[in-house]
Amino acid sequence: MNWKDRMIALVGVKNLLHPRQDDAEPLDPSARALFHPNPKFRHETGGDLVSFLKQTALFGDLKPGELHRLARIVHERSYRDGESISEEGKPGAALFVLRSGAVEITRRAYGGKQVLLATLEPPASFDELAAVGEVARWNSARARGPVSLVALGRSDLDALGGHYPATANKILKQLARITAARLQMLVESQYFGGQDQESERER
Amino acid sequence: MSARNEGLLAGLLFKSLVGTAALLLAAFLLWALRSLIVPVLVSGLLAYICRPMVSELERFRIPRGLAIGLLLLVVALAALFVVDRLRTLVPSQTGAVELKIRALYAINERYRGLMDLDPTLTKGNRLYQLVRADSDPLLDRVNQLLALTPEERSLFYASRSGGAATSNSPDRLLDQDRANLQTIDLRTRAARIAPGAESLPPRPAGLYEGSPAGGPVSYLAQLLSNWIIAPLVFLFLLSDTGQLKRGLLSMVPNRLFEPALIVLADLDHALGDWLRGLFLESCLLGITVALLLTVVGIPLRWAIGIGLFAAATNAVPYLGSAVALLGGLAYALLAQQIHPLIPMVSIDNLAIWVIAAVVLAEVIKSAVYEPVVLGGAVKLHPLVVVIGVTGGAILFGFVGVLLAVPAISMFKVFVASTARQLNAYGLI
Repeated sequence: MNWKDRMIALVGVKNLLHPRQDDAEPLDPSARALFHPNPKFRHETGGDLVSFLKQTALFGDLKPGELHRLARIVHERSYRDGESISEEGKPGAALFVLRSGAVEITRRAYGGKQVLLATLEPPASFDELAAVGEVARWNSARARGPVSLVALGRSDLDALGGHYPATANKILKQLARITAARLQMLVESQYFGGQDQESERER
Repeated sequence: MSARNEGLLAGLLFKSLVGTAALLLAAFLLWALRSLIVPVLVSGLLAYICRPMVSELERFRIPRGLAIGLLLLVVALAALFVVDRLRTLVPSQTGAVELKIRALYAINERYRGLMDLDPTLTKGNRLYQLVRADSDPLLDRVNQLLALTPEERSLFYASRSGGAATSNSPDRLLDQDRANLQTIDLRTRAARIAPGAESLPPRPAGLYEGSPAGGPVSYLAQLLSNWIIAPLVFLFLLSDTGQLKRGLLSMVPNRLFEPALIVLADLDHALGDWLRGLFLESCLLGITVALLLTVVGIPLRWAIGIGLFAAATNAVPYLGSAVALLGGLAYALLAQQIHPLIPMVSIDNLAIWVIAAVVLAEVIKSAVYEPVVLGGAVKLHPLVVVIGVTGGAILFGFVGVLLAVPAISMFKVFVASTARQLNAYGLI
């Protein structure tokens, strides 16, 4: 499936990612972990990488030994304000977990204008599918302010799967859960979110 | 020109100058430290081979340090076992002397038979007339090389029953030695008579002839000082759990991070495929050589030995087959009786059958094994292999020969993968 097909399949993503009202219904914990700050997340810039990984949705299920092993293979990257992290249409080779700062997820509209889809905060992850298979990215990610990221390369995850299949399996399961949760949210947004808005307007 | 453009130009000039200086410095350092390149590469390759074994041990909750220690212990024990087995195959001092006598006798007799030489060793058939200018000096050198020294002769005579050369009891080796002495004497006379003949060259002065000034001790010291780094590099790389890769990638600019990840993964795959393919191909070549040599009559024990050496040296292109050929021909030269599985092989035509067997093994390797087991690995044109191996030999000696193919393969993968990724990411 190319990015255009995928875009059609993910129609509604813009609506889903509109800024939420303060009085909106609270998201379930997994959705909060995907798109919103984790209330339990403690900012520890420059702190222990292992304890940061433990707080993420992707790696939260791993045992301490597995987290230490993971911490040895991930890459810590720093970005300046406005610096591009990943670009739409370019191949992806790593998933990213936001450690500090904020990341803007944008998508080029048909007219060429960049549409802001979401602003991510720690410990959100993005570009997860790049760690599973060779995909062309359907969105772009840009740093808003100084940003610190943790990147896990596809080759690193492959190597982890070769030597420690149980650990890799846990990560992949969590990745599947996250992807499924996002899909569910998109479907709900497409079929039920619009109705809610219309009924609200009628009222 | 505006001030902004001037600033940009100055910046560009500064960057170009710094880049050129960095390149020159890197080239100078590479040249100055070239003697360390081979030890570092060899230990790196060994560490790369051993890494999966250490990781396997780690899966059983064995700490990495202990896993490395266990691996080294197993390798040391295996090396001791192999050395012990090889020592039993190495002939004693007397055995070596006897082997020299038999080899020299066999070579001279076969040469005499092939060239149909007269008793004075100066006249022969048309073939001899055609090649004598080249073959006679070569045979003279072989005679000189295999001739017994006075000490070896005393040892040989002492080892025979009766303990003297004057013994009249029939002794085949004594007869062969006498015949050898006679041949050497005749060849020396013939060489003196022959117009424009060169006198026999002096015996090689020693192992270290041609070594750097200062003699063997300083040569050995220099060699050791270069290679002393190898075990350290090996242990460091083996105990590395990703820090090296992370350190390397941390120096890469953000926009090149993902392309660099893919290039490193491509290099890893290529090296892994090549090593696995080479290992399988070497095993198959060794088995094929051993089987074919057994069929033509070389005893199984020796055929397995030759097959093992062929497999071990197969890392250098064509060397495995060359070793098999030399081993087989050496046996054919010294064999006194054979037990071939095919009836037409005899002691006289064994050498031809050995050549046929090794050629067949090489053909099977090229036509069957390489496409099957090396299909996924990097393919190099034979001319590139030959030039690369020769270049490696000129620059770094035997180890250069050994590392030429993987180095060229990795370079090819690096260039191709880098170009592909830079293009995919719109950087070129």
